[in-house]
Amino acid sequence: MLDATQILQSLVNGMGVGLIYGLVGIGFCVIYNASGIVNFAQGVFVMLGGMFTHTLLTRLGIPIILAAAIAIPLVAAAGVVVEFLIVRPMWNRGATLFAIILATLATQIMIERITILTLGDQPRTLNEFTAGGPLRIGGLAISYQIFWILGCGALLVGLLWLFFGRTRTGRALRACSQNREAAALLGVPVGRMLMIAFALSAALGAVAGILVTPTQYTAFNVGTPFGVYGFIAAIIGGFGSAGGALAGGILLGIFQALAIVTLGAGFKNVAALSMLLVVLLVFPNGLFAGLKGLLAGRSRSADAR
Amino acid sequence: MSAGSSSVGATVPQTATTSAHLFEARDVSAHYGRVHALKPTSLHVGRGELVTVLGPNGAGKTTLMRALTRLMPREGSLFFEGRDVSALKTHELARLGIIMVQEGRGLFGQMTVRENLSVGGFTRPHEDEKLETVFTLFPRLKERVDQISSSLSGGEQQMLAIGRALMADPKVLMLDEPSLGLAPKVATEILETLGELNRRGLGILLVEQKAPLALKLARRVYILTLGRVAAELPADQIGSHHDLARYYLN
Repeated sequence: MLDATQILQSLVNGMGVGLIYGLVGIGFCVIYNASGIVNFAQGVFVMLGGMFTHTLLTRLGIPIILAAAIAIPLVAAAGVVVEFLIVRPMWNRGATLFAIILATLATQIMIERITILTLGDQPRTLNEFTAGGPLRIGGLAISYQIFWILGCGALLVGLLWLFFGRTRTGRALRACSQNREAAALLGVPVGRMLMIAFALSAALGAVAGILVTPTQYTAFNVGTPFGVYGFIAAIIGGFGSAGGALAGGILLGIFQALAIVTLGAGFKNVAALSMLLVVLLVFPNGLFAGLKGLLAGRSRSADAR
Repeated sequence: MSAGSSSVGATVPQTATTSAHLFEARDVSAHYGRVHALKPTSLHVGRGELVTVLGPNGAGKTTLMRALTRLMPREGSLFFEGRDVSALKTHELARLGIIMVQEGRGLFGQMTVRENLSVGGFTRPHEDEKLETVFTLFPRLKERVDQISSSLSGGEQQMLAIGRALMADPKVLMLDEPSLGLAPKVATEILETLGELNRRGLGILLVEQKAPLALKLARRVYILTLGRVAAELPADQIGSHHDLARYYLN
């Protein structure tokens, strides 16, 4: 039987890893909104974030914050390369979205193979950004890295909110997601927006990868699970909604953590996929759009009475 | 018959690679798959001129506008301020000042009035000054500046679509059926505003089904039927619906 401490511990751990899923989910949404493409290579950006940081740290011996600060633009550049070499040529030749999405899946496999050849296949990890810990509150043990994840996650969400709401480029990206033709007719270079979207979502993936690696490990193949969980987070949130993806990620993380503590670690995937299936069956447009519709329906029927 | 072959008024000498008009399309045509929806069509808009394109449903008016702004593949040549701009993409044409308000308005429905206007000024500096100009023209937009655009009335949405286009500093403004779906009074108000903009010197290419309103404003008319220009004539030569029907049927 679970006690309150175990439940609280699961909530804290789930929230931390859920925020990572949320960041990956936002990465999916940023590209999807700018182009309609579901980028299945999103997970490799998470992997590259951790791998690049580890490589810079061990080979150059620079501080972890500096290594992270270099790794993020490197991964963003990798995102631009994927857009430039894989997506844009197909896009310009009028390939179907389905074909482009399959190409991103192939890209994920290709990047994983390149990573094995260049950086090796051995798992590796990073030290926690703040040594010591965990912080003990009653029976709870909270790793300092969780605070880094929550803090950086909140900061990133705030910065994204400012970017999409207050900057010309951010507004133009949102405009592209709502009506690409109208945006182009006003002078917005839709193709360049797609490149910016890839860079931004790759950078988000990299941050997620750097933040989460100290709590587990990174290797050439960690991109797939993070990609899948981020994808599920985005679907739960209503694909395309950045806020929904973040909330979906946190819900997914908490649900997984509770499933692990009650049923065992083997049920981690079962929990994630079950949650996805239930949400899709009950609210095909995502949990939050579904709940909003439900509430609006209730308020209409209350008004009618 | 292409418009180029039935020009009204003085013909301006021009070479094959330049144009004396503000905006000129030469033998522009477009296909939907195997369907030749727009046959080679030529038209032009002079500086400060308001030109209207009339035609029945399915005549190819929207296809013409989409082809001119390169929202769809097209053949033929396009000139702007004497320069060949045939190869430019949609957003590059917009940066030059060729701006189109789409049929159905094409608003960014999840964004506020202010955000829609801001995207309109994406390529231009001095956003605040332009906002004031738009708000002077359409005071109702100022009252609803923080409202989500999809919640505006049809007339307000059209005002926003035109205001957003003005933020992009157009030199030639193309409008595809701006009165579509609007109450007659609102449609008149919108078209009168277009007349005012034209009097201030803005070149306008107006596609419209409400012929009487458009004819009051326009100097010249292109009549489009079955994907080709059936006639080009001064607006005051069309006196009645019978005149128009004659062209539509011919």
